[in-house]
Amino acid sequence: MRRLIGDVLLPRVTAIALWAWVAFNLALVGWVGLQSLKESGEVWLSPFALPADPQWGNYASAWQAAEFSVAALNSTALTLLGALLIVALAAPAAYVLARSNRRAAGPLTGYFAMGLSIPLQTLVIPVVVVKLSLYTFMEDWVTGWWDNRITLLIFQVALSLPFAVFVLTGYMRSLPHEIEEAAEIDGAGPLRSFVRIVLPVARPGVMTVLVLNIIGLWNETLLVLLIAPLPEERTLPAALLNLYSSMQYSSDWGGLFAGIVILIYPMVVLYLWLGRRIVDGMTAGIGK
Amino acid sequence: MGAGTLTQAPPVAPPVRSRPLRPGRERAFWPFLLPALIAYTALFVAPSLFGFWVSLNKWSGPGSEMTWRGLDNYLALLTNEAFRTSFVNTFVLAIVGGGLVFGFTFLSMVVLRHIKGRAFIRSVMFLPMIISMIAVGAAIGFLLNPEGVVNSLLTGLGLDPQPWLGPDLVFRCIVGGLVWSSTGFYVALMMSAADSIPAHIYEDAQIVGATRWEQFRHITLPLTWDVFAVSAVLWVVNSLKIFEIVLAFTTAGTPGSPPMQARTVAVQQFSMVAGGGVPDLGSAAAMGVVVLIVTAVLIALTRRITRRDRVELS
Repeated sequence: MRRLIGDVLLPRVTAIALWAWVAFNLALVGWVGLQSLKESGEVWLSPFALPADPQWGNYASAWQAAEFSVAALNSTALTLLGALLIVALAAPAAYVLARSNRRAAGPLTGYFAMGLSIPLQTLVIPVVVVKLSLYTFMEDWVTGWWDNRITLLIFQVALSLPFAVFVLTGYMRSLPHEIEEAAEIDGAGPLRSFVRIVLPVARPGVMTVLVLNIIGLWNETLLVLLIAPLPEERTLPAALLNLYSSMQYSSDWGGLFAGIVILIYPMVVLYLWLGRRIVDGMTAGIGK
Repeated sequence: MGAGTLTQAPPVAPPVRSRPLRPGRERAFWPFLLPALIAYTALFVAPSLFGFWVSLNKWSGPGSEMTWRGLDNYLALLTNEAFRTSFVNTFVLAIVGGGLVFGFTFLSMVVLRHIKGRAFIRSVMFLPMIISMIAVGAAIGFLLNPEGVVNSLLTGLGLDPQPWLGPDLVFRCIVGGLVWSSTGFYVALMMSAADSIPAHIYEDAQIVGATRWEQFRHITLPLTWDVFAVSAVLWVVNSLKIFEIVLAFTTAGTPGSPPMQARTVAVQQFSMVAGGGVPDLGSAAAMGVVVLIVTAVLIALTRRITRRDRVELS
């Protein structure tokens, strides 16, 4: 009996459940793709059939009518710029934190790690206040104009720093000690030897952090809704949310699924390409 | 909340070595560190402290007058129906969701060590972690629509169609969606620890006649308990800031703002800021501080519950 449950029943049932889980995930990703190519009536009437006549026009209509073109541009620019800035700030900091003999290095590493346990809710109100004040301040005193997308970028970068610094510090610490010697012999200034010697050695870790931040920034919603909610400012998740809430009036369901695909598929492709590294990076410093 | 409450802070840099200091690298210390340090302090730490300050005042935003309220905002939260509901919801999500997530994680750990295609299962289960919950919510919302596929299936089977995304059931759908999307992450986390357990232990156990379940119970779980403790803390931190999935599931069923039954603290806070009217920033900020305190308490509690003597392989 014990054997029957512990060796046969439980593992069998769990294995079946896991495969069902896997099938559901794969089916969901494929299904939204099929739905995005159907006419709106077809989306409703035969949700599991193959599209009778692929409607590539759905993408055009999502692209134009729902202002996805602007949102896609915003998303791409903010994601890439943000991820690069995060790494540009975090990598040098993590390097000196990991490798310095100074007494301040330990407490400062802890100071960055502290940010990991501060929930975003604590920052919601300050973020809104800073956004409003920054806008008026820049417009009245400095440049005469301002764009909330810049505020969004600034906060996306700042709020991602704790995780990036934390993971990269752990990674930099695992690098061989020879790199310092190589950097010394090189004789160039610290910045040059960092770029020429340390970064190439640390490339896998830096790339992982870059990719993780690309995923995080691409999917970020709360900050976008708080800082840049207007149609010309917002990114894809906010645009999709808006399209979705207008569905009961417009009922362009094919267009909605096209929007879902535009939001999901780039990340799925990224995952297919770099899957193992993404999983390892997200679980880094915790699992091992 | 001190350093490294979430994860062990990395060990401090080794003590000063007797060798002469490397001048180049040490000279670079502040120039390399300061940009990140200033950005983090000015845009993360300082705003958090400012939020704490706002929570002690009555304030409707820049340009209006700030009047001191002391702890009144916090006391008012105690009697605020909307906050209490959202707080209880968040709590239920954390506890019930956590139980389900780790229940599934443990079950998968029983079989994921030896089953065929295990690497594939792990990576596909992880997939929801990297795709937007808004998009997933829109897609699943379509299925759960009153006239959607799930309900036509139910009707076909002779069962009553359910208002899945209506105020009464939507919260359960949110819990389900949350468990579905996060379990893969914790499976990856726990399995990466389980991978490092040497195979001969399991072989020995097999010879003694231990079942798969017993092998999990007496080998895998004790040897990965450390990672479980950290995972549990991580779950607590993550579950307290749930926001997107609520928005995603409630946008279709109930136009306008999410129904009370489904609101988490983050959603409640967001509707207070974005909901129009004169915003009461003081009280919204107080919610944020309460969540911070609850996070700290729950982390401490989780650590206490999961504390056990470390089992190590000799």
